[in-house]
Amino acid sequence: MTLWRRPGLWIPLILVFLWGLLILVSGLDSMREVTFTLMMFATLAASLNILLGYTGYVSFGHIVFFGLGGYTGFYLLSQRGWPLSLAAVSGGLLSAAVAGLLGLAVLRLRGAYFALATIGINEAARAFISNFSPFGGATGLFVNFSYYQSYGGAGRALWLTFISLWLTILLVTVVSYGVKHSRFGLGLMAIREDEDAALVMGVKAPQAKTIAFVISAFFPGIVGTLYFFKNGNVEPGDAFQLHMSIETLVMIMLGGQGTVSGPLLGAVTYQGLRGYLLTSPLFKSLHLAIAGLVLLLIVLFLPAGAIGWLRQRFQGLRRFLE
Amino acid sequence: MVALGVISLIIGVDTAIVNAVEKNVVIGFTASQTGKLNMEAMRQINGLQLWMEQVNAAGGVKLPDGTVVKFTAKFYDDESKKERVQELYTKLINQDKAEFLISPYSSGLADAAAVIAQQYNKIMITAGAASDSTYKKGYTLVFQTYTPASRYLTGAVDLLAQMDPKAKKIAIIHEKDKFSTDVVNALRTYAEGKGCQVALLEGYESGTTDFAPFINKIPAGVDAILGGGHYADTSTLARQLHEKGVKAKMVALLVAPPEPQFAELGEAALGVIGPSQWEPHTAAYNPASAKKLNVEWFGIGVPEFIKAYQQRFKEDPSYHSAGGYVAGLLLQKAILASGSTTTDKVKAALDAMDILTFYGRIKFDTQKMHGLQIAHDMIYSQWQRHSEGKLVKKLVWPEAFKTAEAILYRK
Repeated sequence: MTLWRRPGLWIPLILVFLWGLLILVSGLDSMREVTFTLMMFATLAASLNILLGYTGYVSFGHIVFFGLGGYTGFYLLSQRGWPLSLAAVSGGLLSAAVAGLLGLAVLRLRGAYFALATIGINEAARAFISNFSPFGGATGLFVNFSYYQSYGGAGRALWLTFISLWLTILLVTVVSYGVKHSRFGLGLMAIREDEDAALVMGVKAPQAKTIAFVISAFFPGIVGTLYFFKNGNVEPGDAFQLHMSIETLVMIMLGGQGTVSGPLLGAVTYQGLRGYLLTSPLFKSLHLAIAGLVLLLIVLFLPAGAIGWLRQRFQGLRRFLE
Repeated sequence: MVALGVISLIIGVDTAIVNAVEKNVVIGFTASQTGKLNMEAMRQINGLQLWMEQVNAAGGVKLPDGTVVKFTAKFYDDESKKERVQELYTKLINQDKAEFLISPYSSGLADAAAVIAQQYNKIMITAGAASDSTYKKGYTLVFQTYTPASRYLTGAVDLLAQMDPKAKKIAIIHEKDKFSTDVVNALRTYAEGKGCQVALLEGYESGTTDFAPFINKIPAGVDAILGGGHYADTSTLARQLHEKGVKAKMVALLVAPPEPQFAELGEAALGVIGPSQWEPHTAAYNPASAKKLNVEWFGIGVPEFIKAYQQRFKEDPSYHSAGGYVAGLLLQKAILASGSTTTDKVKAALDAMDILTFYGRIKFDTQKMHGLQIAHDMIYSQWQRHSEGKLVKKLVWPEAFKTAEAILYRK
């Protein structure tokens, strides 16, 4: 029981809760939109961290689950008339199921081979969807604007999407913490440190890695559905963007891999910085160069990520920063 | 006290007059300043910027109540990605107080922005977004400047029939994105309806740089090769078709050939036809032809636009530039016609609009596919060799716009 009372869980949870609540109470649409982008990447980063941070497997294919789950959820709500919540959860479950099947095959690979395989999966998924006619092929799917009326209009639908994402990020934080402190999570971390030694010690590595892959794939499926519902359409080019996977990896490295708060902090910092530079009158023409430079400096001087560095530098903070 | 009262009254009246005559309208949009759509999008911004400079320099738009409307642009880089489009359009409307919107470049990005425009009751002129599907979604405030994707390459089939009535075998190689797929789906239906045989229909992923597998699949004896996608991939496809020595009577590709830079491909550009929304030599768009069509002529003429654009940006305008300019011009006309800047009145003016401009005729569907462009025609240009050996663009279709006969791509 004491595990669930630790500040390492409650600090990020309360901060994320207050953040969402503040946006909700303010009722500011532009703040909602900025926060949606930040929370979307934070959820993607926190979920990928379960595989990358705890298990040590670098995946460039995380966005596959965003795309496949998003497509499935969007198909269910636009073509089958399912409500958003059910469609989003179904998108997540589909992604998790696909991860389970894929995991059995690709998680036998290690290191660079696994990373390369995940790039291939991304391209294969995009090619498959581009030719899959129930999902609209290359032109994708869309909803009529009047569809939002069933949610009380587009304005309310966008708020509903935001609230759903807010709940998702809270859930992924709890799950990430739970995995880290479970017996299963310890097994994952043993795999990360030395997979062969973990096998000798009795960790069922293939099974544990597949379960980690499944858990990490569930959340992008939900996020994808919410994102495409909000956009009103989905196309293969938007659903499987390799750069989003890479950016998610960068956010985790920035915040601190293998920590609960690190991916959240990394995503908010990275995307917040990108968003600021993009709209700053002074920097808007140089935003990519500046974002790259800042990133380089952080990676050079904080290789363990922000949370990792704080935990190393200030031992007393370890209780509070998981 | 009386004097003070009189002074304050005068100041008050003066202020009221100043307020009445000056109104600054913010036009908001995102632009792909970076990323894969950079080339097309920057030309579009240039066109819009030129319109804005000209209309403001001419004293703005004068409304019947004495108000003078002047325009400022507010825009952000969307990096050619959809991720932040809704966020940026929400910011443009709520924080930057944009009263009118121009769409981002490309149909995918424009679709995401349209949700926000409609939600906030803002008119959005789509420039550089040709997919028909946007107008099947029930938007009432989104208006298209481009000829829709479904009519992009159909004229090439008519041109082929005119060049050689026996030429019936075509191959289609296209980018697998929304716009290009919309184009070729309509093209296929049209071509088959005209008795053509589609011997090859292959899609390639966005970002493809090696077209050899697709070119190798082109069956022998194909009369025409049609397709392409956006600038980068289409110009590479054209280059590789040339390098592989592919023989066909016609090669007609999307987006890239009308761009002046396409000539940099040298021999590979020779004979390539491109459907264009607008070309600099469209002499048919003038006040006299407006009279013949029995529609109003509005805005500057073709030569004036070209001259102003060349002076301002030190380059020739492309159809993307003209599209950007006309997006602003349509707003100007609608504000002028409605005598207002309120959404409802400007929308009504756009719904009723039927005009001829330097860019062509403009009229919008007001029924099932509200906002779809129904009057503007595509023009087909071809790179031919000038008598001095230089590559020049000639208009080869339709008949009314012809400046030269089409030449065969490679016998």
